[in-house]
Amino acid sequence: MELFTPDFGLVFWMFVAFILLFLALAKWGWPVIIKMMDSRATTIDQGVEDARQAKEQLDHAREEAQKYVLDAQARQQEMLREAAKMKSDIIEAARTEAQRAAQKEMDSAKIAIEQARKEAELQFRNEVGKFSIEIAEKMLRTKMSNDSAQTALVNKLLDEIEKN
Amino acid sequence: MFKRINKSLTGANRARHSLRTVLLALLALVFLCPQNAMANEEKKDLDVKEIIFEHLGDGYGWEVPFAHVYRIPLPVIVRAEDGKWFCFSSADLTEVIITRNEETGKDHKELEPVIKTIERDSKTYRFLIAHVSSHKDKVVQIFDLTPEEEKTVSTELAKASGNDSNSPRIIDGYVYYDGKYYREYRPLDISITKNVAALFIASFLVTLLVMCLVRFYRKNGFKAPRKGMGFFEMLVGFVYYDTIKATLGAKAPKFAPYLLTAFFFILIMNLIGLVVIFPGGANLTGNIAVTLVLAICTFVVTNINGNKHYWKEIFWPDVPLFLKFPLPIMQVIEVFGMFTKPAALCVRLFANMMGGHMIVITLTLLIFIFAAFGAAVAGAATVVSVLFSIFMLLLDVLVSFIQAYVFTMLSTIFISMSVADHEAHEAKAHDKVDQQVKTEN
Repeated sequence: MELFTPDFGLVFWMFVAFILLFLALAKWGWPVIIKMMDSRATTIDQGVEDARQAKEQLDHAREEAQKYVLDAQARQQEMLREAAKMKSDIIEAARTEAQRAAQKEMDSAKIAIEQARKEAELQFRNEVGKFSIEIAEKMLRTKMSNDSAQTALVNKLLDEIEKN
Repeated sequence: MFKRINKSLTGANRARHSLRTVLLALLALVFLCPQNAMANEEKKDLDVKEIIFEHLGDGYGWEVPFAHVYRIPLPVIVRAEDGKWFCFSSADLTEVIITRNEETGKDHKELEPVIKTIERDSKTYRFLIAHVSSHKDKVVQIFDLTPEEEKTVSTELAKASGNDSNSPRIIDGYVYYDGKYYREYRPLDISITKNVAALFIASFLVTLLVMCLVRFYRKNGFKAPRKGMGFFEMLVGFVYYDTIKATLGAKAPKFAPYLLTAFFFILIMNLIGLVVIFPGGANLTGNIAVTLVLAICTFVVTNINGNKHYWKEIFWPDVPLFLKFPLPIMQVIEVFGMFTKPAALCVRLFANMMGGHMIVITLTLLIFIFAAFGAAVAGAATVVSVLFSIFMLLLDVLVSFIQAYVFTMLSTIFISMSVADHEAHEAKAHDKVDQQVKTEN
């Protein structure tokens, strides 16, 4: 019945073996393993978390990019519209400017013409005066004798003037 | 005879190892062998109890695989009666005696104890593995009888005369060897017996496993180990995260080395106990000395780490005053409980493992018990017993793991009970109650 009565030698060696094993493993074994397993677990958790965040960021970035694209398109539209407007404005301005310039030219031309006309009128009047004086002179000189002749002459001269 | 067996075996080979032919071959083997044995040897009564306890018990040498009488010698370390230490090989204590059976021409080998005589300082020391003595199968120092002792022995023997005088009688304090009685002294014995050697092998295996994993980590950093080491790491993770950390929480790292060492040591001891030949074969965890030491360790760890609350629970528990004041009823129960917990740990592991081994041995012995009833019965018994043995061994593998786990789990729980931070818990509970009161108001 030695099985039920602990044998001193075996108890002694069991103590020795177990304590030595415990000390050795407690110093060089288990802490290393536990630390490694813990840190690996945290690394894996961290990795998963990072991946999740990265994915989130990626999704976010895609959204952002989409937003930028839309924004850019909107701006492009805006710019195009503005450009078109500017173009028409410029054309309009050019046109008014041209009109104004033409008007001015025309006005000055009119004034010049008016002036020329007035000068011509004045000159004509002077001419007419001169002619009248000449006619009167000629009439006086030539046909002062008879009245009919004088009248005929006057008529003839007036006709001539009218013809001119 | 052997030729016939070989024939049936080669026949089985030819039939492509189908289950039926293998079973038939097994049956054939079984039918032939007992007859063979019976023919060659004078039939002895089968002492089942003796065989079982021989297999479960310790020994000074380790049986060489498949050679029943030969032993691997191990050192015997004893302290003689006068306080001197002796160390010698266990091979000096036994001798293989070969007797030749003239009829059959076969050798019969028997392992017999012999007296080891050592001369030191002009004194003679004699040691013997006692057989007929109260210290059966242990090394004892023997002395020749003085005339007075001679008288005592003869009176003892006279008392017993009338009983069957064939077998020598066991007299307390004396050992019978080779027709003579000697006075015996059981020396302090710290021999490296079979079990102790197996302990060292188990310790070595556990160290090897752990150090392999540590080396793997040193080499490969964060890489997870695969295959064998991966399985080992999974076990460590299972015990550490699911049991130790789940129960002890923040205090886990402090106690984890002890609990993990205990778990793997027990597991490896359990498993090598199931291996039948040399590196295994020692019934370690089925020996109460081993489980006792483990239980004592848990007891020590539990009690030296016990906090104020733990000791208060033992010596001044929260029970009505009359249960603890004039008569310390609760205190007695609690102190008793301190010891029953590790005792239960010790006996649980011991009984489970010893029971498993005993069942397997008994099932195997059934073959030899049934051999007496003739070939057919023995054959049938063999098939049944082999199948049952295999089943039991597989079950024992499971039990090995479960018992190692149960030991660790219960140790964890005992430790957690002694170090639990009750004050914090109570404070929390109070806070909760306060909050509830406030909300109700």
